[in-house]
Amino acid sequence: MTVIRPSDDYLDQPFWTHLAAGTLHLSSCEDCGKAHHPPSPICPHCRSFNTGWKPASGRATLKSFTEVRHPVHTLLEPAVPYVVTLVELEEGVRMVSGLPPGQEAELRVGMALECTVIRHDPRFALPYFLPAPAAGHPDTA
Amino acid sequence: MGERMKTSIVGLGQTEFSKNSGRSELKLATEAILAALEDAGLEVDDIDGLVRYTWDHTSEATIVNALGIKALKYYGETEFGGVNCCGAVAQASAAIEAGLASCVVFYRALNARSGVRFGRGERVLEEVDGGLVTRQPEPPGDIYSAPFGLLVPGQHHALYAQAYAGHYGLDTEAMTEMLGAIAVTQRGYANGNPRALLHDRTLSMEEYRAGRVISTPLRIYDYCLETDGAMAMVIVSRERARSLGAKAVDVLAAGQHIFPGSVPMYLYAADTHSLAPEAVGRELFGKAGLSASDIDLAMIYDATSMMVPIALEDFGLIGRGEAHGFFTSGGHGPGGTLPVNTHGGLLSEGYFHGLNTIAEGVRQLRGESHNQVSAETALVTLRGASSMVLGRA
Repeated sequence: MTVIRPSDDYLDQPFWTHLAAGTLHLSSCEDCGKAHHPPSPICPHCRSFNTGWKPASGRATLKSFTEVRHPVHTLLEPAVPYVVTLVELEEGVRMVSGLPPGQEAELRVGMALECTVIRHDPRFALPYFLPAPAAGHPDTA
Repeated sequence: MGERMKTSIVGLGQTEFSKNSGRSELKLATEAILAALEDAGLEVDDIDGLVRYTWDHTSEATIVNALGIKALKYYGETEFGGVNCCGAVAQASAAIEAGLASCVVFYRALNARSGVRFGRGERVLEEVDGGLVTRQPEPPGDIYSAPFGLLVPGQHHALYAQAYAGHYGLDTEAMTEMLGAIAVTQRGYANGNPRALLHDRTLSMEEYRAGRVISTPLRIYDYCLETDGAMAMVIVSRERARSLGAKAVDVLAAGQHIFPGSVPMYLYAADTHSLAPEAVGRELFGKAGLSASDIDLAMIYDATSMMVPIALEDFGLIGRGEAHGFFTSGGHGPGGTLPVNTHGGLLSEGYFHGLNTIAEGVRQLRGESHNQVSAETALVTLRGASSMVLGRA
């Protein structure tokens, strides 16, 4: 099925190269230590330019979710239904994520989740989040 | 008493709303602007200020050249889809109060159904080698959300809805009752409003329940209608409005409020069950010299039905978590304690990016609504990102 890719020029950026290597890293401030997402050249908390990348714990809380049933592009017709999630990582950052294609799970706002990185091709992998007890299934690469 | 704004909306103009206008956005824009001037009793040569949206395709230059506006002394641009309509009025008012202009037209013209559709993925995606690619740096459809299939505002709204349901412990049935009460009541208003795209189509609660689910928990009837058309409004100082004898409605307060994560789509901001901090309403009402309980009428930007309960709670027009009870008991309907979106809203009149939300507030306070209620004041808000209080002149 179709998974939408960021264009190739983005995939050279650290967020994506870390994922392609198998781990979720967060743009983080080397001065105040706080993470932020989406990545930015300046820390929005202490305004330091001294930012870098730190591996995420992978632990998160579900803030919201939706099962998308209506495809908004013809190439997505085979992809529906699919589940999009809004998750809050332990590091205090919010991310858009989802359930891996074809995977089902009982979701509830507030539940604990764990990250699993799934590689779709050698340069492109995504951080999905699954209910904590079911997490940790192997990388499909 | 707060420091009230000193401007008035003195003219409204619009084209018909349709699925296919059959004419250019420039033609639509000029038709709406001329209609607004006529409504105000003003001429093209009176215009010396213009406020437009960056997302529109007709520039200031195009409008000045097309209409032969002799001297445009102020032009301002504003961002973010529909949510900044009241910000555009604030901008026009600020320009007038600062002496930069004396007669400002705010307009929007879009073939948003027959042309580029905001509700479709094609706006943000490219087909490459049989697959789909995004190059968008910001939501919707940006590189961090599109890969998971979050592509269009209507899907974001489904996330707002589920976050609200989760926060207040509302189950699927309770959400259906609340959102259905909004969609069905607003359709009833639209049935009384000849301008509404869905003027001739009724909607019952049974039909609402049977509606196709687009993105859980939202059904087709929870979504606005992509629309072709144009609207314009004319803003002048209150003093000039009085001397014109126009059917003025006063801008008592208008402003913008965005914060980290709240724009362009509300994804990353701290609260997920709410879309604006309570300070937004407090400050707005304070500037208008009013409090929430003084508001007679609410015009809420309803790109989806879910925006309505969140806005009423965010602005303190009802208490936190009270939305289900308020809407299921008809508080927003004819004869309710706080009529809401009496034109039918973006859901049933047409999605004109909030300009029609403002226009209905103006018409109500002029006494010209097709669903007229008794009102001295109206709140207009576009999910708190921009808001205004209008008062009967």
